[in-house]
Amino acid sequence: MTGYIRPLQQLSRSDEPSFGGKSANLGELLAAEIPVPAGFAISTAAFHAFVDDAGLGDRISSAVAGVSPGDLDAIGQASHAISEAMRSAPVPEALRDELAAQYGQLGEGSPPVAVRSSAVGEDSQQATFAGQQETYLWVRGAEHVCDAVRDCWVSLYSPPAISYRARLRDAGEPPAMGVTVQLMVDAEVSGVMFTCNPVSGDPSMVTLNASWGLGLAVVGGEVTPDEYLVSKVTREVVRERIHAKDVQYVPDARGGGAVRVRVPDERREQPCLDQTVLAQLVEVARRIERYFGAHQDVEWALARGGELSIVQTRPVTGLPKKPEEPKPQSAMSLIMGTFGAGPAKE
Amino acid sequence: MATTAAQAGAFPSPYEIETPPGCEGWEEMYPYYALFDERRRDTDENRFWFWNSMHFPMPMPAFDVICIDSPYQAVGAWQNRVFAVPPAMGIDYRCVNGYIYISGNPVTDPAKIAERAEFFQKRAGYYFQNWPELYGKWRAKMEALIKELGELEVPDLPEYEPDEVAFGDDRNTAFYEVLDAYARAVRLGDLMWQHHFEFLLLGYGAYGTFVEFCKSHLPDIPDQHIAQMVAGIDVLLFRPDAELRRLARLAIETEVEEAFQQGRSPEEIDAELSQSDAGRSWLAELEKVKDPWFNMATGDGLYHYYRSWLDDPSIPYASLIGHISALKAGEQIDRPTEEIQRERDRLAEEYGALLDEGSRAAFNDLLGLSRTVFPYVEEHKFFCDYWFLTRWWNKIREFGALLARNDFLQDGEDVFQLSRYEVASALDELVLTWATGGLPLGPKHWPPIVARRKEILRRLGEWTPPPAIGVTPDAVTDPMVVMLWGVTTERVQEWARQVEGGSVLNGAAASPGVVEGLARVVRSVDQIGDVRDGEILVCGSTSPAWAPIFSKIKATVTDVGGVMSHAAIVAREYGLPAVVGTGRATAAIRTGQTIRVDGSEGTVTLL
Repeated sequence: MTGYIRPLQQLSRSDEPSFGGKSANLGELLAAEIPVPAGFAISTAAFHAFVDDAGLGDRISSAVAGVSPGDLDAIGQASHAISEAMRSAPVPEALRDELAAQYGQLGEGSPPVAVRSSAVGEDSQQATFAGQQETYLWVRGAEHVCDAVRDCWVSLYSPPAISYRARLRDAGEPPAMGVTVQLMVDAEVSGVMFTCNPVSGDPSMVTLNASWGLGLAVVGGEVTPDEYLVSKVTREVVRERIHAKDVQYVPDARGGGAVRVRVPDERREQPCLDQTVLAQLVEVARRIERYFGAHQDVEWALARGGELSIVQTRPVTGLPKKPEEPKPQSAMSLIMGTFGAGPAKE
Repeated sequence: MATTAAQAGAFPSPYEIETPPGCEGWEEMYPYYALFDERRRDTDENRFWFWNSMHFPMPMPAFDVICIDSPYQAVGAWQNRVFAVPPAMGIDYRCVNGYIYISGNPVTDPAKIAERAEFFQKRAGYYFQNWPELYGKWRAKMEALIKELGELEVPDLPEYEPDEVAFGDDRNTAFYEVLDAYARAVRLGDLMWQHHFEFLLLGYGAYGTFVEFCKSHLPDIPDQHIAQMVAGIDVLLFRPDAELRRLARLAIETEVEEAFQQGRSPEEIDAELSQSDAGRSWLAELEKVKDPWFNMATGDGLYHYYRSWLDDPSIPYASLIGHISALKAGEQIDRPTEEIQRERDRLAEEYGALLDEGSRAAFNDLLGLSRTVFPYVEEHKFFCDYWFLTRWWNKIREFGALLARNDFLQDGEDVFQLSRYEVASALDELVLTWATGGLPLGPKHWPPIVARRKEILRRLGEWTPPPAIGVTPDAVTDPMVVMLWGVTTERVQEWARQVEGGSVLNGAAASPGVVEGLARVVRSVDQIGDVRDGEILVCGSTSPAWAPIFSKIKATVTDVGGVMSHAAIVAREYGLPAVVGTGRATAAIRTGQTIRVDGSEGTVTLL
């Protein structure tokens, strides 16, 4: 055992530098007894081993050397060259074996899994913008999983990622990335939820977006999802907007991957969550928020059998600044303010 | 009014509003100072005035003007001269075609504002610190005042004064007693209004600050949750209905419930009950409940039309019939007070826990203070608007009866068509001619005036006042206007946009939910009987005393009021969608029209 891979339940927050934020957070969720599909995490060391074994280090450095962040042509060429090189390089034998063994433990035959990048450190905040948030759904068979892992690594050198790093002029460590592999949920409905209202900043609300099928449609912004605002305190739906959801992703019947199909007419304008499921989601949201001690942006999936799974959580960023006074005012000075009498003299 | 730079345009000038046909001379019913007078056109035309349809949804009868003058005297005295609310003095009013428009007087000089702030902080601070004790004294004062009103006798005018006047010490003749009684009746009304406003601004201000705090720190919190956290468990206003529920249970326990048949009048029910021992003892129990709990008004109390349950038992009897049939159907009719208490504490605790530490202290303090002031906010209506005022109108009716017995009026009720000065004048002539034995002119003088005014009022009632007149302000900055009437900058801008018309009315989202249904426009309390099950009530404003109607309707829409208005609170208590403060719902909507009320978004769509 080379130790490139660990089951998710063995990870905690302190593993973030070596396995990336997504895997580490899933480990934390499992510790908090939140329902998370079984899976494993591939460390950043695996990525380094891949680069070193194939002798790609120099080719990568020279391809990106001196690229200016605004020179799109140069960046495109560098990205293309690196991708080609990485895709034709073999994944180290030891890693392949370990991966096949871990994958085998996830289930009989060739269970479908999701393969996602798990960014590290500074990158994790910017990962979305930098195009490093790759997700491959409904991947089956160890060989295909291995390819998907490599594809995740390749995304480290997507044009936006190269440009982003060039802009940082970070001469320090070379980039690295972990990868998360998890059993797929055959989702009837999936979506995201925030443990607050990220628009108004209200901490007493859970904001949910939901649409039919696998999570891609919502995360990728391909549908206008149903929106719900639910009170954490009473579980009542404070606001609800049901939209026409035109497309959904479903497993490709021919084997691997997910395909985009039209939502059947009779379901398109149907709400995809009911009161019971909403209450269940809010309950989980509250547990996650309490466990992490900060507002979370959570991806979830509801299996056809009705079982709820959490597939990702990360801190909510960019909350509106609270309309907070420099120091909190006393009740009496607030009342004086109502009457235009300024703060009271104590 | 306290506004920043204002502009003309959207609303009509108060000087260009036409008198409806047949209403010529309406001005004679109102004091000279209540009119838009040419001599102060320069200032009055350049102010923003809004129709106070919350308190005065109907054209004012001449006598009822006392319920404009006294409240504005009283609220101004407390606001401006006692507490010295820094940026806002009192409220001016004017009358147009019988409808009441109001406008606040701002304080703009920063030095003056600072000077007033010192008074305010000291005096308001004293009230907040000593609230329960001061409020206890207030209740005692109100009870004493109500007792004094009850003891006030309106003497008759005898042919010969009794022996005591001739032989006793310190006896007054009837001419003096009548004039004195009238003066005292008016004075007691003034005193009630003074008491009414002693705590009102501070109480609403504390509660309003808590509401604002919640909305700024918990922007999506449903208004209902805020109300639930504050609302009293054992509020006096719930007592009348609680007593009715108790009586309903008693009727079933003592097996007299068959008397309460749908469609029977209170008299018919009483007649049947009085035929059995059990029925008679139920009636005896009812008598005990009546004082004070039947001193509920059938309206918000500012018009003489609003009688009490004592005067018009059809409302409590309708509730009794409803409660009895609910009980027989096995329904739970009691207010689940323990559950309400638990939920109120749970909400407060959970919301508090969601706030950061610095805000939590202010949240808890504001909530505590809101709960301290809330008994006054709820109960003053029972003491003042209902209990005192319904009895006070009845006292004025006694003077009306005196005038009618002496042919100065055809009917005692006509007294309300005279101003309080005219009543004083009529009484003056009455006692003068009684004393002198001369021929009174009154019987020829007053009846034609009364007849003319009744006709004018009837016609004015068919006219729809615009929501605002004068200049459109860029901003409403008067904290009292915002707090008490919910008239905010946004609201005024909506009114201005709506003057042109449109099929969607905007107001405050006061109670969540969406329903469609037939509208029932109710302009005055005597139309309440027209409301059918499942209709949507459209009115100037509602009040908790309309309780029976809330069990019939499926939503409510008002012209004026904010999310803290009584209308909103009651709608939430009944779980009905409500949109308040639309400015012109009663003008834009016709009875029988299908409308959609979205109490979550604050919109009313005419379909």
